[in-house]
Amino acid sequence: MDKLRAKVRTLLSEGQVAGYLGYLIKDSHPLPHLFTPENLEEVDQAVVAPDNARYPLDKLLIPLAERYPEAAFAIQVRGCDERGLNELYKWGQLDPEKVVPVGVACTQEQADYCECPGPWASVVDYGEKCQPVAKSLRVEQVATLAEEDAFQEWLGAFKRCIKCYGCRDVCPMCFCKDCSLEHEDLMSTGQLPPDSIFQLVRAIHMAGRCIDCGLCEETCPAGIPLRVLYKKANALVKDLFDYETGSPTAGPSPWKMLGEEATLETKPM
Amino acid sequence: MSDQEFEPKILGFFCNWCTYAGADLAGVSRLQYPSNIRVIRVMCSGTVSPHHVLKAFQKGADGVLIGGCHIGDCHYLRGNYMTIKRVRFLQDLLKFTGFEPGRLHLEWISAAEGPKFAQTVRDFTEKIRKMGPARLKSARAA
Ligand code: SF4
Ligand code: SF4
Ligand code: FES
Repeated sequence: MDKLRAKVRTLLSEGQVAGYLGYLIKDSHPLPHLFTPENLEEVDQAVVAPDNARYPLDKLLIPLAERYPEAAFAIQVRGCDERGLNELYKWGQLDPEKVVPVGVACTQEQADYCECPGPWASVVDYGEKCQPVAKSLRVEQVATLAEEDAFQEWLGAFKRCIKCYGCRDVCPMCFCKDCSLEHEDLMSTGQLPPDSIFQLVRAIHMAGRCIDCGLCEETCPAGIPLRVLYKKANALVKDLFDYETGSPTAGPSPWKMLGEEATLETKPM
Repeated sequence: MSDQEFEPKILGFFCNWCTYAGADLAGVSRLQYPSNIRVIRVMCSGTVSPHHVLKAFQKGADGVLIGGCHIGDCHYLRGNYMTIKRVRFLQDLLKFTGFEPGRLHLEWISAAEGPKFAQTVRDFTEKIRKMGPARLKSARAA
């Protein structure tokens, strides 16, 4: 932790950033915290979020950056969080000139649990790089199901949804002010379970945007395997458009651009 | 309901400039095609959101047919580049979740292709008739 704290201390005391978004133990809970030059001594208590107590820091940075457009902020990022920053830059939600990543490498245990293909940030200020996980067995397992069985599985899961919107609210990549999941003409209101298409609509929106942090799935009180759905959505975006979600070099999002040429063809009936 | 009695409900999203005009041409040419299709005219096929398609299925559509100008002919230049991306993505996502991707079809039909329009609607209606009622609809009714 010393290396990380030293970096943060320098950034703050030299005035390179107006604040550092990280974690502090409060009442024995690790909580997101904005460290500032005014309270430099707090940096001695800065920690890395334990694997199972992560928060969407990227999401917390968006309103901060909005409120202090001139200020730069440092932020603790794991591999997923940094992919999130890259997408948020693309979508005009954050300015890369105003963000300094403080990077964390995840443990092997965490990477295995996440099936994470990139479990470290581009700078590592804490932790050791572990083995990335190239393939998602969870996705592969669903892909082996016959279509009818897959349908029953997913429908059964979707039916458990209590429409708390927790998946959306925790998601660092959900920044829209108006959410189509709440559009009265497009999504039925006042009934449970919600429309069976609820999670599919969300999956469409997350394709090429989800950075696979897994917070939605951990938040979902209904235990819906949301992550499997979004992992697949991203895999499709990779297959169809050769777009690597969250990569700094992937170019513009396939959904943002109409494209210079149409490379796909219609499927035969 | 036996297969014989099943009349599929099909929703068409057709762009104003090509496919809708193609449908008009089919009409004035008195070409026959099944009346199972209900049409929503949109300015460009690129304005059809995947959400609209899913909503149609949610509301009980057995099939959704999207029609737009051929690539290169879109009246908004590249609107249909977006259409093809969305449709191909959605078809694959529907496949993964077992939501019957074959119930969504995209066809490029120009204003001059009246016969192609009629044939496409005939073929698609027959295909959906053979598939039977949508899984989602049956599951919700049950
Ligand atoms: S894993 Fe879930 S919470 Fe995280 S970016 Fe993807 S959709 Fe959002
Ligand atoms: S978190 Fe789970 S229960 Fe809540 S809205 Fe999302 S899918 Fe539904
Ligand atoms: S105007 Fe016909 S597809 Fe765009």
